[in-house]
Amino acid sequence: MKGIITYMKRDFLKWTRGKVAVISALVMPAAWLIFVGLALPVQFTGNYLDFITPGILVMTMLSAGLSGGALLMFDKILGFLNKFLALPTPRGSILVGKILFITGRGLIQATIILVIALLIGATLLNPFQYGLTYFILFLFGVLISAFATTIALYLDDHDSYSAFNTMISMPLFFTSSALMPYSVMPVWLATIAHFNPLSYAIDAVRDVTAGGFPAIPIFILFVLTGVVLAICMQVFRRVTV
Amino acid sequence: MNAIETTNLTKYYGSLCAVDHLTLSVNNEIFALLGPNGSGKTTTVLMLTTLLNPTEGSAMVCGHDVTREGEAVRKKLSYVPQDMAVDIKLTGRENVRFFADLYGVPHASDRVDEVLAIMELSDRADDLIRTYSGGMRRRLELAQALVHEPSVLFLDEPTIGLDVAARKKIWEHIRALRKKGMTIFVTTHYMDEADQFCDRVGIISKGRIAALGTPMELKALLMKDVITARIEGTFTIPAIDGILFVGQSGDEVSFTAENGREALPLLADALGKSGCIVRSLSLREPTLDDVFLQAVGPQEEPHGFEDGKFRIMLRRRK
Repeated sequence: MKGIITYMKRDFLKWTRGKVAVISALVMPAAWLIFVGLALPVQFTGNYLDFITPGILVMTMLSAGLSGGALLMFDKILGFLNKFLALPTPRGSILVGKILFITGRGLIQATIILVIALLIGATLLNPFQYGLTYFILFLFGVLISAFATTIALYLDDHDSYSAFNTMISMPLFFTSSALMPYSVMPVWLATIAHFNPLSYAIDAVRDVTAGGFPAIPIFILFVLTGVVLAICMQVFRRVTV
Repeated sequence: MNAIETTNLTKYYGSLCAVDHLTLSVNNEIFALLGPNGSGKTTTVLMLTTLLNPTEGSAMVCGHDVTREGEAVRKKLSYVPQDMAVDIKLTGRENVRFFADLYGVPHASDRVDEVLAIMELSDRADDLIRTYSGGMRRRLELAQALVHEPSVLFLDEPTIGLDVAARKKIWEHIRALRKKGMTIFVTTHYMDEADQFCDRVGIISKGRIAALGTPMELKALLMKDVITARIEGTFTIPAIDGILFVGQSGDEVSFTAENGREALPLLADALGKSGCIVRSLSLREPTLDDVFLQAVGPQEEPHGFEDGKFRIMLRRRK
């Protein structure tokens, strides 16, 4: 447990020292929120900002997770991993610490995006709804960071990983329910969107903001996260023995 | 009980044998594993530090088996790989504190101050590593490694890429640690450093120990003088009483003799007669390079580099 916290502390310290990276990660979701959320003329809802905010929050977690996937690979390439593996600290805490850091960093960024959304006119929710929203975002964050870390460890090369990152982030976002409800999507898009894991997180958050309790999407996210974590641990173990 | 004890330690990467039945014991000394690139030095260290499982054989560190008691072994040792991995966005103190916390060192902050002082980094402790020189970064890594007072210290090419002054300083620190009773296992391909600073040397080639002993003992395997001739053309080894052939490395051939000055003209004559042109002759005392040449032949990149085997090696390390 102490190991996990120590590994996370290192990553947080390093992150806060790189000021450009801290700010630049926020620009993209904020731009979506402002330029699309406020400006897009849509007919299906009266407050598009309230509709798109869950999508942008999940998008923030997605890009935080995907960019964080490279961290463990870099630790490996640069020789840090070998030093950590020679420590008596349980080896699993390297991986757990990394996933929790990437998720935690995403949640901090999502909080800033949420504040911006409120400032430009999104509806304020009650504390229970926020608690549930954060729980869903956390689950989704663990899912994405475990997935990204697995891919990066598997590819073992920064260029390949960043190409992969570019390749999947936009399509994943556009084929989810982030920008429009299933009812206005063309049928082919709606079909894809129903299978996109982003949609589960977005629909769940949207359901929470509407006052519901999205038991099924949360359950599906839970199962997905469990499966991906198991695969991730397997790949990590293969890398480290 | 010896600090490090290996019995027939073997590692295969696919069909490539990186370490071949290595049997070795090291205790309270500076032991250098010496050899060219690709001779199996790093693989040996990786197995001893529990980062790689041996294919065959066993190894004990401080009485604990490296495959079965990994965590107990890791509590006793520190490992500094050759990559120089320190976080450049953190300060020296933060880097060392990080390791102290991971080891769960009691009174961490005092201990961090102490090791920083030992490595002469106290006055720069709160500067970012970005501003440190290569030698300082290496010393910081040593400070990280010392923070939990290990019994055995593994250093993989500790002086690689450093200038002469920085190298000397690193070795002085290593010697000081040895005086305090630590066992230090070093790999290097710098023969002169091993000769000067290490208590015992094992020359490794193609995964096998080719010669083992103190630098003095190893050099005593040769006679008092070494004569090196730079030649052109082919030559046959001249049969002269009291002059022994050591080996050939590129266009240089080396011989050893009890009395080098008397051997010089004899050799020049014999080599000339055997059909080659002698460009220069030099006379000096034996070095570990000569020992190496005699023990394993010329130092060269292993040729017939097999891409497939190399890929298998890389994949195994993933």
